[in-house]
Amino acid sequence: MSVIRNAELVPAPARRNFATLFSNVSRWRVPLSILALCILPWVLPSQALAVNVLIYGLVAVGYNLLFGYTGLLSFGHAAFFGAGAYATGIAIGAFGLHWFIAMLIGVLVSGLLATVMGVLAIRTRGIYFSMVTLALAQLVYYAALQASSWTGGENGLRGFTVSTLHLPGFSVNFLDPLVKYYAIMIVVAAALWFVSRVLSSPFGAVIEAIRENETRARACGYDVERTKLLSFILSGILCGLAGTLSAMHLSIVPLDSLHYHTSGLIVMMTLLGGAGSFFGPFIGALAFLSMEDIFSLWTSNWQLIVGVIFILFVLYLPKGIWGTLISWGKSR
Amino acid sequence: MSVTNIGKQFGGLVALKDVTADFREGQITAIIGPNGAGKSTFFNILSGALKPSSGTLRFRGADMAGVPQHDYVHRGIARSYQITNIFPNLSVLENVRVAAQAFRSRMNIWADRSADRDSLDRASTMLASVGLSARAATPAKFLAHGQQRALEIAIALVADPALLLLDEPTAGMGPEETREMVALIEKLAAQRTILLVEHKMKMILGLSDRVLVLHHGQLLADGTPTEIQANSEVRRVYLGQNDGYA
Amino acid sequence: MTVQLIAMQLFSGLALGAVLIMVALGLSIIFGMLGIVNFAHGALFMVGAYAGLYVAGLTGSFWWALLIAPVMIGLFGMLIERFLIRPLYGRSPDDPLLLTFGLGYVLVEAVRIFFGTDGIPFSTPGALRGVVNLGIGFFPLYRLFVIGVVVAVLLLLWIGLEKTKFGLIVRAGSADPLIMRVLGVDISRLWLVVFGIGVGITALGGVLAAPMRNVSPEMGTLVLAEAFVVTVIGGMGSLPGAVIAGLIVGVSVSMTSLFAPEMATIVMFALMALILLVRPNGLYGRAAPGL
Repeated sequence: MSVIRNAELVPAPARRNFATLFSNVSRWRVPLSILALCILPWVLPSQALAVNVLIYGLVAVGYNLLFGYTGLLSFGHAAFFGAGAYATGIAIGAFGLHWFIAMLIGVLVSGLLATVMGVLAIRTRGIYFSMVTLALAQLVYYAALQASSWTGGENGLRGFTVSTLHLPGFSVNFLDPLVKYYAIMIVVAAALWFVSRVLSSPFGAVIEAIRENETRARACGYDVERTKLLSFILSGILCGLAGTLSAMHLSIVPLDSLHYHTSGLIVMMTLLGGAGSFFGPFIGALAFLSMEDIFSLWTSNWQLIVGVIFILFVLYLPKGIWGTLISWGKSR
Repeated sequence: MSVTNIGKQFGGLVALKDVTADFREGQITAIIGPNGAGKSTFFNILSGALKPSSGTLRFRGADMAGVPQHDYVHRGIARSYQITNIFPNLSVLENVRVAAQAFRSRMNIWADRSADRDSLDRASTMLASVGLSARAATPAKFLAHGQQRALEIAIALVADPALLLLDEPTAGMGPEETREMVALIEKLAAQRTILLVEHKMKMILGLSDRVLVLHHGQLLADGTPTEIQANSEVRRVYLGQNDGYA
Repeated sequence: MTVQLIAMQLFSGLALGAVLIMVALGLSIIFGMLGIVNFAHGALFMVGAYAGLYVAGLTGSFWWALLIAPVMIGLFGMLIERFLIRPLYGRSPDDPLLLTFGLGYVLVEAVRIFFGTDGIPFSTPGALRGVVNLGIGFFPLYRLFVIGVVVAVLLLLWIGLEKTKFGLIVRAGSADPLIMRVLGVDISRLWLVVFGIGVGITALGGVLAAPMRNVSPEMGTLVLAEAFVVTVIGGMGSLPGAVIAGLIVGVSVSMTSLFAPEMATIVMFALMALILLVRPNGLYGRAAPGL
C-alpha cells in the first residue's frame, strides 16, 4: 500500500549534523552527566549550592520518570523525599544504625510508602491523580507533625550526625565539604546510570507509550495500571534515595521537606529544565537553585520572582530549557 | 468468536439487547446500522474495552468474561480505532515496535530494548508491508491522515491476531486511499478473521462475506451482502431512507 | 461526654463544612465548565480573606468586606482567566494546572510583601459576637451566621443554575462543550464569567473563615488540600457532591477532634483513601468516560 506520495525530502546536511550531535549526546548521557557533576563544585559559587543541586537534581530525575516519561503529574513527591530523610534520620538517631543500613531503610520506607500511595492514586485518572497525590502527601505531612515524639514535630528531626563514613578498609571524612560532595555524587551517579538503563529498557518504552496514548497501550496488550504503579514506585524510591542523602548531608530533617511546597519545587525544577528528557531535570534543579541563590541575595521575596519565571515557562516554554534546546537544534 | 445474548446498558439506556452471532474463521464480516444502532458498543464489547451487562462472549471456546482488556491481544484479538489512535510523539517505527514488544517483554526494567531484535524486525517488516518504511524515523504525528490510518492498522496487525477488528478503517479517506485500504483488507483476510464497522455501503457489499445489521441495539438481519440487499426490513429502516447509500 | 456536647460538636462540624463547601464549590464549578483544576484556589481563598481584612479596615464594616471582597477577587479571577489561562486552552490539561500552581506561589509571596508574614487576627463583627441558646446548648452566633450565609449562597446558586437562562447555558456547557458552539454561544465569555464566579465564591469562603481562623499567607495551603479531599469524595464537577462531601468532611473532622484531637487533620485524608478504594469516581462522580 503506497499511501506515501509526498515522500520526505532528504534532510539537509546541517540538520543531519545536529541530529548526530543529539544522538551522540544521548548515547553518552551517563558519562557526560557524571563529567558535568565532577566539575560542578568548581564552577558554582559555593559547595553548599553544589550539594543541593546534586540532591534536588536526583529528586527531579526520579520525579521525571513519572511525570516526564509516564505522563503522570504527581503533586505529592515530597512525601517520598521526606519519608526517605526521616527514616534515615530515625534509623541513625534513635536506633544507632550504621549509615549504610540507615540509607537502605530510608529507600525501603519510601518505596513502601510509594506502593501504598500508588495503589490508591493510580485508581484515578488525569486531573484527579494530581489532586489525590497532593492530598495523600498532606496526610503524610500531618502524620509526621502529630508523631512528634518520633519526628520532632514542627522543629524537625535533629540529633543525628554522620561525620565519618566507615567503609570496609577505609573511611571518608564526611565533614569536609568537597569530600562530602564527591561521596554523595557517587551515589547520584549510580542512580543516574540506573535511570538511564530503565529508560532504555522495554519497560521504558511502555511508559512512554502510556504517556502518549493510554488507551492504545492497553489495546496493545500492556497492563497499564501495573506499569504505572511500577513507575510510581521507582520514582518514589529515587526521591527517597535523595531524601536519605539530604538527611545525611544536613544532619537535620526539616518538617518542610514533607510539605506540599517541596512537591511544588520538584515539579517546578523538572518543568524548568524540561520534563521527559534525560538532562532536563538536572538542568532545572541547577537553574532553580542558582536563581534562589542569586535572588535571595537582594530580596527575601525571591519566591515571587521564581514563581513569575515559572508561569512564563508554562506559557511560553513548556518544554523547559533543555527540551527547547533540543527542538531548536532539530529544527535547524 | 461467538457471542450469545449480549446486552449492554448504560444506566437506564439500553445500548445493546440480546445480540447473538457467530463469526467463522477466515471470513470478512461487516457490521452496519444507522447512527446510534449500537455498533460501537458492540465493537467495544468484542474488543474487551467494555464488559457486557448480560450474555456471554467466547473466543476459541474460552469464556472471555473475566479477561482484562489488555489480555485480549495476547489471546489473538486486536483492533484498530475509528479516530486515529496512535502514539503521536513516538517515531513511526517505535509505534509498531512497542506494539510488537508486548509479546516479548512487558515489565523488564533492566534489559536494553534494542537487544529485542525480534520486535524490531517484525515492526520493520510490518512497516514495509503497509508502505511506511520511508517514514520510519518520523514522529507519527507528522504523518498525513491516510498514512496515520495505515500506521493504525500496522499497530493492530503486528500482533498477528487471529481476529482483527477494524473500526471504520476508511474513515476520512478519499476514493484512492479507500481502494488501497480495501486491497489491504482483502490481502489480510486470507490469513485471519476480520470484522469491520463501516458506513460506505458500496465498499461493504463488495468486500464482505457476511453482513450484520444492527438497529436500536438489536440484530435486525444477518446474511450475505446479496441477502441483506434483498431484505425488505433492512431496506425499510436503513437503506430505504436514503437510496444514495445502496 | 454528654449528648449535648456531641450535638454541639456536630454543629461546629457543619460550620467547618460550610466553609469547605464554598471552596469546593468554586473548584467544582470551574472544573465542570472549563475542565481545569485551579491549583491557585487555596491562595485565592487566602487572598479573599486578606481582601476582606483590607476592606473592613478601610470601611470599618465587616458587612462591606463580606460584600465587596468576593466581588473584587472575582474580578481578579476574570483577569487571571483572560490573560493567563486562556492562552493554554487546547494544550495539555496539565498546563493550566501547572500555571495556577505557579500563580498560587506568586500570590502567597505577594501577600507576604504587602501584609507581612505573620498571621493577623480578624475580629468577629460586634453584632455577631456571643452565643445563642439552641435548646441543647450554647453555640457561637458567628458560626450560625456562617452556616446561614452558605445556605443562602447555595440557594442563590441553585436558583441561578436551575431557573435562569444563564444557568441553562452553564449546565448544557458542562455536559457537552460542543453544544455551545452549535448554539452559537460565545463560550470564551461564558468561561470568563464562570471562572470569576468560582473564584468569587472561594473568596467569600475566605472572608467567612477569617474570624474563625487567623488570617495568614499560608492559610490557603491546608484549604487547598481540604478542598481536594472534598471534591474527590463528592465527585469532581458535581455540585451536590461538593455539598454532601463538605458536610461529611466537616462533621468527621469536628467529631474526631472531640474524641482524638491529634487525628483530626488526618481523618479526612483517610476518609478520602477509603472512598477511592470503594468508589474511585467519588460519591456523585460520573464514571470515567468509556474507552
